Amino acid sequence: MTLTTTSFDWVRALVHKESAIVLQPGKEYLVEARLLPIARQRGLADVSAFVESVRSRPDTDSMRCIVEALTTNETSWFRDGDPFTALTSTVMPALLAARGPSERLQIWSAACSSGQEAYTIAMLLEDSMPNATTRVSITATDLSREMVARTKAGRFSQLEVNRGLPAPMLVRHFTRAGNEWEVAAPLRRMVTATECNLAAPLPRMGPFDVVYLRNVLIYFDLPTKQVILRRVRELMRPDGWLFLGAAETTLGVDDTWERVVVGRSSAYRPKKGN
Amino acid sequence: MTELQDTGLRRRADDAAPSITDLIDEETVQSIAQEAWSALVGEDEFLVPLPGDLPEDAVSSWVDVRGPWNGTVVITTGRSTAEQLSRELLKEHAPPVLDEEDIEDGLGELANVVGGNVKAVLPGPSALGLPVVGDAPVAGPDTCRVDLLWRGQSLTISVQGTAGALLDQ
Amino acid sequence: MRALVIDDSRVMRRIVSGILEDLGYEVQQAGHGREGLDVMDGGWVPDLACVDWNMPVMDGLQFVSAVRSNPAWRQLTIMMVTSESEHGQIVRALAAGAHEYMIKPFTADAFRDKLALLGMLPQEAVL
Repeated sequence: MTLTTTSFDWVRALVHKESAIVLQPGKEYLVEARLLPIARQRGLADVSAFVESVRSRPDTDSMRCIVEALTTNETSWFRDGDPFTALTSTVMPALLAARGPSERLQIWSAACSSGQEAYTIAMLLEDSMPNATTRVSITATDLSREMVARTKAGRFSQLEVNRGLPAPMLVRHFTRAGNEWEVAAPLRRMVTATECNLAAPLPRMGPFDVVYLRNVLIYFDLPTKQVILRRVRELMRPDGWLFLGAAETTLGVDDTWERVVVGRSSAYRPKKGN
Repeated sequence: MTELQDTGLRRRADDAAPSITDLIDEETVQSIAQEAWSALVGEDEFLVPLPGDLPEDAVSSWVDVRGPWNGTVVITTGRSTAEQLSRELLKEHAPPVLDEEDIEDGLGELANVVGGNVKAVLPGPSALGLPVVGDAPVAGPDTCRVDLLWRGQSLTISVQGTAGALLDQ
Repeated sequence: MRALVIDDSRVMRRIVSGILEDLGYEVQQAGHGREGLDVMDGGWVPDLACVDWNMPVMDGLQFVSAVRSNPAWRQLTIMMVTSESEHGQIVRALAAGAHEYMIKPFTADAFRDKLALLGMLPQEAVL
């Protein structure tokens, strides 16, 4: 069954109320495409069944999930800036104070897509701390070989740099390369991109001080979420920081994490003794 | 149209200065145009690189580029294609009937967008002129020309102007 | 919130105005920089100005400089919206006092991303 008008209108109203984003009529395909993985994961046949189940018995988690799936574009840079603000204002100062002056800090951008998140982190650190390019290394991983190759290249189209990359950062950290834009070489050297399937045993990496695992868990069922969170924790330093998507949490999934509020964002840290 | 200026600064052929054709090729122009179509005309609007016949009432829009390279970026298509393009640009903001100004303005804006991005591929600085709409300008030598189909209708984009190496600024 | 859209293309003015109106902005349009200044001199002071670069009479860069030379308009957020996309030109526009720079072609999503960066997305709920 395709999406009914009632379902679409309900989703439209919800998304507009929560994010101010207007889903024009004709965007039914977008709702279908973005919500289908979540519907499947919940054992429902199609998007209409999913939307109807939430509409008839609304719960905060599912509604956030819907809004997040429709408003998050993993290919935009700073669109959801809070987890990045938290990195420079709180997380890095704490880590730099805790580590020796020559210790290298390691950050993991999991499910990195074409690399926007990894390079956003690299740019922010370069702008906010001395020696960032030698002091910090960023590991970017993705399931897709093509995405890993794109991340390595560090080249972005005009349309891609328009997606939430502040113009002052564009001119500071990119040069023109034909009709694309290329990230500056020192930042590319900070980032190591490699293939990695989060749902399978993870390769030897880390240990990581900070992990960005955003908008990934929503696509997995509970047991898989638990396995992923456990494996991620095994690759993290005991005083590390994990950032999830705004609609995701470890609460009720894996209680070996402690949730801490950092500015307008939340981070998760391994509980002592686990 | 741009007149050719001999500044005496033109490099010799054996110098390392890039030639315009090293920088602007068909693939580059097509990818710039495809980005403009995807963003402005519609997410699923594709330009297919196949030649077609332009109708007799073809109309052109163009912008001049002046700098290390002097030339013109021209879009040419049929009148009704230009009208459909303007309608798609405006989408739900389109008036029931598009007037002449809307049609010319829409085609002109596409030339501006494609021209601005072609210019940015060149080593600048260059200046971009305001779009002009009319019968196709007197064709200079084509540096590069792509023949495309949009929804089965013919549309050409040509980059015309000084051939050879770029001028020193 | 109020936005002034300055572009010599009527089609582009309508596209940009449409995106802003969908977000709840009250919008006025001008065909070049001088017309934009006239709207503001007339007492309609916007929160945001979206300005094209190449226009007749007064171009976008001149508009930005004129606005920045008047302390009364210090609060105005300016975003260039233009097909000019050379690295050096973006630097010039930012140096003249533009806050953001949107390269044409852009999508409505990209436009909202830029407004979010500027803190100019109206009634944005904190998720």
